Amino acid sequence: MGMLKTESKNLANPRINGDRVAVLKSTEKRSDQWSQLLISVGETHDRQAFAKLFQHFGPLLKGFAHASRNEGWFPGLGDDLVQEVMIKVWNKAAGYNAEKASATTWIYTVARNCRIDMLRRKSNTQHLPLENEDFWHEPDEETPISLLQQKRSEDKVQSSLAQLPKEQDEILRKVYLEGKSHAEASAELGLPLGTVKSRVRLALQKMQVIVSTEAQE
Amino acid sequence: MNNTSQFHPDDTMLLEFSAGTLATAPSICVSAHLHFCSKCRAQLLRLDQVGSQLMSEAEPLELEEGTFDKVMANLDSSQQIPVKVDSQQNNYPFSVTKLLKNNLVSQTWKRLSSSVDVARFETGQEDFEVALHKICAGGKTPKHDHHGLEYTVVLKGSFSDENAVYREGDFLIRQPGDVHQPMGAQNGECICLSALSAPIKLTNPLGFLMKPWLRINPM
Ligand SMILES: [Zn+2]
Repeated sequence: MGMLKTESKNLANPRINGDRVAVLKSTEKRSDQWSQLLISVGETHDRQAFAKLFQHFGPLLKGFAHASRNEGWFPGLGDDLVQEVMIKVWNKAAGYNAEKASATTWIYTVARNCRIDMLRRKSNTQHLPLENEDFWHEPDEETPISLLQQKRSEDKVQSSLAQLPKEQDEILRKVYLEGKSHAEASAELGLPLGTVKSRVRLALQKMQVIVSTEAQE
Repeated sequence: MNNTSQFHPDDTMLLEFSAGTLATAPSICVSAHLHFCSKCRAQLLRLDQVGSQLMSEAEPLELEEGTFDKVMANLDSSQQIPVKVDSQQNNYPFSVTKLLKNNLVSQTWKRLSSSVDVARFETGQEDFEVALHKICAGGKTPKHDHHGLEYTVVLKGSFSDENAVYREGDFLIRQPGDVHQPMGAQNGECICLSALSAPIKLTNPLGFLMKPWLRINPM
């Protein structure tokens, strides 16, 4: 957090990045094309924009579904997930806040929740009073982090993910894509749980997702 | 919902939450903490960015013929209005409010000891007992230790133990073997959400005394 605070101080200081501040204030909107399309879907029910999102994200979502190694997986999961996620995207687009997250991140969260709920419905006959989606109702708020800072952290994640050592990358993929818990990853890789967690922390530090001094908290 | 929390879930737990691999009961507790903690919400967003980047790099797979048309045919021209969280009135997290509405095992508090009442939730899983605990103002709870893990989030008021004072939003983990004796704050009752992986073993034998049901609605 310390680093982020310093950044916003610098931005407020006209002597540093003076003209950049002005540009950002007048265009506090996402510029990437997927976010623009998602905004159009939300604001004007733009079917063409939606179709473009579908062409891009549909195959990625199917890939994400097939990466799952969870209980309940079934062959038709991929196309079912694409349908369910994309219809949710259409229905919820009006609530998309471009200042909070990019379209890719937002669609990822919808896909993650859908994937878990679909797998649970398949593998569990019990009545489940909560869906994964229910865990993700966040209060409306002024975003504590500026759009610029979010873009920077996204860029940082993107560029540093490719440079992670294989042993760290492997665990992140197991957890995020295959849907394994740290305990399951540790059993599969034959590593102590503590090693799995420390590799995860090292990876997060490298991507500057966590600041090293906070890691122990 | 200001950032007043002092005790947070650790980074690896937030990551499991972000990836959706955390079990249901601890997820309920993490989501309750997030309701109060803007610092962890910001952290979670960065973790979601990791997940979204990994998803973007997943191998794209060709869709079955007709999937696109099926979706386009199912688009409702009237989009849903974003769901507004109606838990603001009692300042409870959404997941807790939803559980309170439909899934209490009993619509009453059950007396656990002279100063602690409990209301258990039906959460569709049996690994953890998920419940609300209410400690009355100044109430001393029986000294107890744990067979299993216990997650606690303070939803209202505060309590203290030998080590610290815990306030709204604070997230705590008790390991098996931890012995503690929480005490409710003097200035009002304290309500906590907890997920317990095994029943609490009361070290004070008096704690075993079960009192009759109390007709108090936790809402
Ligand atoms: Zn927190």
